Amino acid sequence: MNALGISGSPRKGGNTETLLDAFLTGAEEAGAEIRKVILRDLEFTSCKGCNACHKTGRCVLKDDLTPLFEEILAADILALASPIYSMSITAELKALIDRGQVYWARKFILKDLYFEYEHIKRHKGFFISTAGQNWDHVFDGAYPVVTAFFNDIGFEYTDNIIANNMDEYKGIKGHPTALEDAKKRGRKVVGELERIDREN
Amino acid sequence: MVIKVLAFAGSPRRHGNSETLLDWVLEEMEKQPGVEVEKHALTDINIAPCKGCNACEKLNACVQKDDLVWVEPKIIEADIIILSAPIFCMGIAAQPKALIDRAQVFRSRKYVLKLPVVPPDRKGKRIGIFLASAGQDWDYVFDAAVPSVKCLFHVIDIKNKDIRNLMVNNVDEKGAINDHPTAEADAVALADEVIATMREMKGERL
Repeated sequence: MNALGISGSPRKGGNTETLLDAFLTGAEEAGAEIRKVILRDLEFTSCKGCNACHKTGRCVLKDDLTPLFEEILAADILALASPIYSMSITAELKALIDRGQVYWARKFILKDLYFEYEHIKRHKGFFISTAGQNWDHVFDGAYPVVTAFFNDIGFEYTDNIIANNMDEYKGIKGHPTALEDAKKRGRKVVGELERIDREN
Repeated sequence: MVIKVLAFAGSPRRHGNSETLLDWVLEEMEKQPGVEVEKHALTDINIAPCKGCNACEKLNACVQKDDLVWVEPKIIEADIIILSAPIFCMGIAAQPKALIDRAQVFRSRKYVLKLPVVPPDRKGKRIGIFLASAGQDWDYVFDAAVPSVKCLFHVIDIKNKDIRNLMVNNVDEKGAINDHPTAEADAVALADEVIATMREMKGERL
């Protein structure tokens, strides 16, 4: 079983990446193989909106996201992590998500890609995020975007692991429960997948 | 009296639906006396994503010296700021999101350093316009993008009442907006209303 974490934060070791690390650590403790990819370290461009994939089912861009998408589709557990900037995810993570258009095109235009219900239930997607603001609605702009991405690639949108009010807590380490909760959630999802595999 | 309009075409696709909507607005504005229009396509200029370093909270400037260096003062000088963008995956496309996030430098100026973003005599005399297109026909397809765009306008001292949105859904392939029943007329009407409102804001006698 493998868990892939993708950090869309431009800041190294910041609140969101630390929360992602806690989730991955939990998954590892429960027996998953984990890997973390930091988008900032990759070379890639965002979707050009050329719609070539609507006809060919392939993206004309070939860069570091090309092999990453192979890894994404091969993951059992996928955690997308981004801090909230201007009421949504960062431009880096948005660029990755926009490049997922090719899977949308294959599903809905070319109809050569289809995910069975069983496949979706067995592929667990998580959104991991932190925000400086204390507003409860600060994550609302991110959810539809994350939903669209998980839909395109055949993952269940399993849960959000989120913590707001980072400015007040002076960072994620000052938050009373977030890191421990993330770790627990990482452990728990491995158990959920093991149960699904036992039943099949 | 001069009205300065600064527009960003945020789509990675040149002359697509959201940019066509922008061009309709700009052409109508330009017909009117005293209106100066400046348009930039984000594909032609280099504005990298925000690094989240928070240096602007101390420096009152961004450490990334890309095209934002010359764009930043233009955003302040303009009376009307327009952003056009397509919706990709239920949110604003990545390139215009990078521009929005880089406006953090204004947020720091306004809320952290408590410095004026525009001179006091120009406060409340600026208008922001968001023009968007989306392929999906869902009417909620713009919901996640609007709060991000509001962030941009708020940090450059444009209040909600001075923000206009014209958002056209169900236009996907290039040129689809040309067949939309009301988009062009809506764009023209918006341009006229905004220029008339700006003349009032500036206290110009009609």
